[in-house]
Amino acid sequence: MTTEQQHDTIDMMLNMGPQHPATHGVFRMVLTLDGERVLDVTPHIGYLHRGSEKLCESESYGQVVTLFDRMDYIANLNNELAFCRAAERLMSIEVPERAMYIRVILAELNRVASHALFIGTYAIDLGAMTPVMYGFRERERIQNLFEAVTGARMMHNFIRIGGVKEDVPDDFGPRVRQLIGQVREGIEEMDRLLTFNEVYLARTRGVGVIDAATAISVGLTGPSLRGSGVAYDVRKDDPYEIYPYLSYKVPIGENGDCWDRYYVRLQECYESLSMISQCLDQMEAGPTMVQMRRIARPPKGEVYVHSENPRGDIGVYLVSDGTDKPYRLKIRPPSFCNLVGLAPMTRGSYIADAVAILGSLDIVLGEVDR
Amino acid sequence: MTAQTPNPPSEGDGEPPPAAAPVHRGPPIAIAEEVLNERGERTARLLAEVVGPHAQESGGRDDLPWAVVAPENLVEVARKCRNSSELALDMLHLQFAVDYEDHIQMVYVLFSMSLDRKAILRVNLPAEDPTVDSVVGLWEAASWYERETHDLFGVEFAGNPDLSPLLLFDGFEGHPGLKSYPFNDYQEW
Amino acid sequence: MDVVWASLWLFTLLNVVAVAALSLVWLERKLLGRMQGRVGPTRVGPFGLLQPIADGIKLLMKEDIAPGSSSRVLFFVAPLLVFVPSYMVWITIPFGRDLFVRNLDLGLFFFVALSVLGIVGLVLAGWSSNSKYAILGGFRSAAQLVSYEIPIIMTILVVAMLAGSLSFRDVVLAQDVVPYAAVQPLAFGVFLLAGLAEVGRTPFDIYHAESEVVGGPFVEYSGAHWAIFFLAEYINTFMVGALGALLFLGGWRWPVGDVPAAAGVALFLFKTYAIVAVIFWVRATYPRMRIDQLMSFGWKVLIPLSFAAFVATAFQMFYGWPIWTLTILSLVILVPPIYIQLRWQRKPAMALAKHYAEIAVAVHAQPRPVPVAAVTEADAAPGREDDA
Repeated sequence: MTTEQQHDTIDMMLNMGPQHPATHGVFRMVLTLDGERVLDVTPHIGYLHRGSEKLCESESYGQVVTLFDRMDYIANLNNELAFCRAAERLMSIEVPERAMYIRVILAELNRVASHALFIGTYAIDLGAMTPVMYGFRERERIQNLFEAVTGARMMHNFIRIGGVKEDVPDDFGPRVRQLIGQVREGIEEMDRLLTFNEVYLARTRGVGVIDAATAISVGLTGPSLRGSGVAYDVRKDDPYEIYPYLSYKVPIGENGDCWDRYYVRLQECYESLSMISQCLDQMEAGPTMVQMRRIARPPKGEVYVHSENPRGDIGVYLVSDGTDKPYRLKIRPPSFCNLVGLAPMTRGSYIADAVAILGSLDIVLGEVDR
Repeated sequence: MTAQTPNPPSEGDGEPPPAAAPVHRGPPIAIAEEVLNERGERTARLLAEVVGPHAQESGGRDDLPWAVVAPENLVEVARKCRNSSELALDMLHLQFAVDYEDHIQMVYVLFSMSLDRKAILRVNLPAEDPTVDSVVGLWEAASWYERETHDLFGVEFAGNPDLSPLLLFDGFEGHPGLKSYPFNDYQEW
Repeated sequence: MDVVWASLWLFTLLNVVAVAALSLVWLERKLLGRMQGRVGPTRVGPFGLLQPIADGIKLLMKEDIAPGSSSRVLFFVAPLLVFVPSYMVWITIPFGRDLFVRNLDLGLFFFVALSVLGIVGLVLAGWSSNSKYAILGGFRSAAQLVSYEIPIIMTILVVAMLAGSLSFRDVVLAQDVVPYAAVQPLAFGVFLLAGLAEVGRTPFDIYHAESEVVGGPFVEYSGAHWAIFFLAEYINTFMVGALGALLFLGGWRWPVGDVPAAAGVALFLFKTYAIVAVIFWVRATYPRMRIDQLMSFGWKVLIPLSFAAFVATAFQMFYGWPIWTLTILSLVILVPPIYIQLRWQRKPAMALAKHYAEIAVAVHAQPRPVPVAAVTEADAAPGREDDA
């Protein structure tokens, strides 16, 4: 489609501004265009910067959990889990097994909800308006369960240092099993509509290719990295909680294009659902919170803990000075690091591809900006 | 005898209030033990081999050994870590700064995607003029980490082509990440 | 007197067409809602039937904004340039045997000529808005609409050849035994796809895609002017349905023959709404194509197919073969592209998915340690020690 540059042309700068239906939040992309081809893309972030890391230094550890809720507001429980594990590691606390099972069930349900939202919003970015309704319907089901268990649909503040806030309701087991069946059907509906749709394939296959070496150098993690063929999953390589006792598959792509990243996330949904039913089978009665002081005072030291967010590798580096407030809490947000890979992926593609590539990275601006 | 209130208002004739030392209430501060497990021991040995004489201090916890290097040697050590076939630390997982008031410490968390290794490199920089060489030539991920650290802490990275503000808006004065920035004045407890 | 009569007819036609377009707005929202698992509008009027009227009132009440750096005259003329041609085509379209404003002998030609005029309006809208998104949308719309005119013209020529006339009425009267959809399914298919692209409906709606160019040429229009564009799009959709019903499905006549006018109109409207419902169904299902994929689909697939349909019809008429040979011929031409397309896109993707299922890394569960003995009541309660 491009011709030889025989004329003096000026490259056009197109601003996909902070307000744009396809940028998934307040995010600004400045595209340098040559006709329809993108020569370069400069992301501008910081519109949602709330100073979370600095705020953590003046809040007690129990209050910090709420900050983590609001960072990646789609996968709240996974974030809470990451932080609580960091504090527990520093304090050398052994969380009771039932609490670990509840945490993992909630985290995996949150993963499914997050991927359902990803599939829906990705589809509507590309123009298919039906999967988003199905995706949000599945999210509604899961959030109803969260409301029954934690008391809130989104900002749960349920996973605490030392365990979980309280035990799950009595009908948790049968309810979750029914939920798994319903959600699986919903995800299959979206799958049937999208995955082998000719127009969808034409829009996503071969688009936004990133090879494994560039992906690793750029710092990509999570499904975006697995789409390029690197089989790194924190649950498998650095297992935590009760993940060693579950059998599952880690889906991997090979080509590193948008379709691969989408397909990896789709398969992860199914794997998470099977993991949840394994957890329900293995879960037994027991305490849900360890005996500890109400105000957490980790000893002086540092710890780095990372876990698998739906978006990638969320790392929490906790520097404690022995008081009841963290000295320095550094968060490694997966979306922030994945966004560095936007430029290599987008160079040389079309404007419409820029939207598809950004969608396939699955960023959440709350996490990018903190 | 004039009745004195328990806390007489300072009128200049009493003793000046003591210098603002952080009031520490509660139990005494415990220090966490840093113990490496087996995986960590292996990686620590490899790290010691690769870093060699440049390691000013070293230690580690669980499976993450760390080593402190001087700012001048950082890029060389980092390159050796990345290219070494036994360490193969090919991903810069995290890079950030910690403000210890008299010095700023840059922490580099390095992961290996192919082998089972992790390591941390630390660099201590003076608080007045924190400058260190950029590692953006080794790992592209450093570009945004360094921009953010420069934005929030004021650390200069020599060799990074683009250190424009990332998170803060244009025209923001000061570096809010530093402890000296008046952010946490409101103490709830 | 003639002028008064004609203007009365035109006024009635405007109302009929406007009401039809509004009913399409309602139908689309209801159908799309049901397909997406929701109900669509229900509050405004019974079954939400007054929703389009509410939309219209809302749009008319909005403030009229024009960008300061746009050229005012062109900015306000552009919507008219889009709306007036799409309305004027309805002069020739017969709803029944004697229900039309003017039965032009050049009806089909008139339609093609006017539909091209609408493109000028879109490009003008994009250019006069003086906004980068609008310009992009304007370019895209010009490229797309002009390219997809060719298959429409060729398929209309096919119908004209089969009917022996360019007038709508004669085309419908010629389909007394068999509708042209059965005679030339290839032409019907090409007409529907090219009609989708002409109207700017998914999967060909990239030039005014919300998630990419935020409205394209329409981005700077607000209120009543945008309502005119909106109305024009729905009138065009209705027209594609009406044309499909008239040219290919036998209009008000097939299969019932000569019936009272009301029944004929009902049959015609039924066929039109059926085609329109299929158009909405496609919108609910497919993502939108990228502009270069759209252009290559038009030029490399639809145009050759439309030419093939034309040549096949010409052969059949020249050699005097029976009419069913045309059906066979067009099916033979239609099937290979579909087969190739499926093989080209879907099969490799399905094979890839199967391959990924095989290379997925399987993680096996490790045996759990022996569960701890049941704890006592005192230990089970979460401890809360207050510190000093």
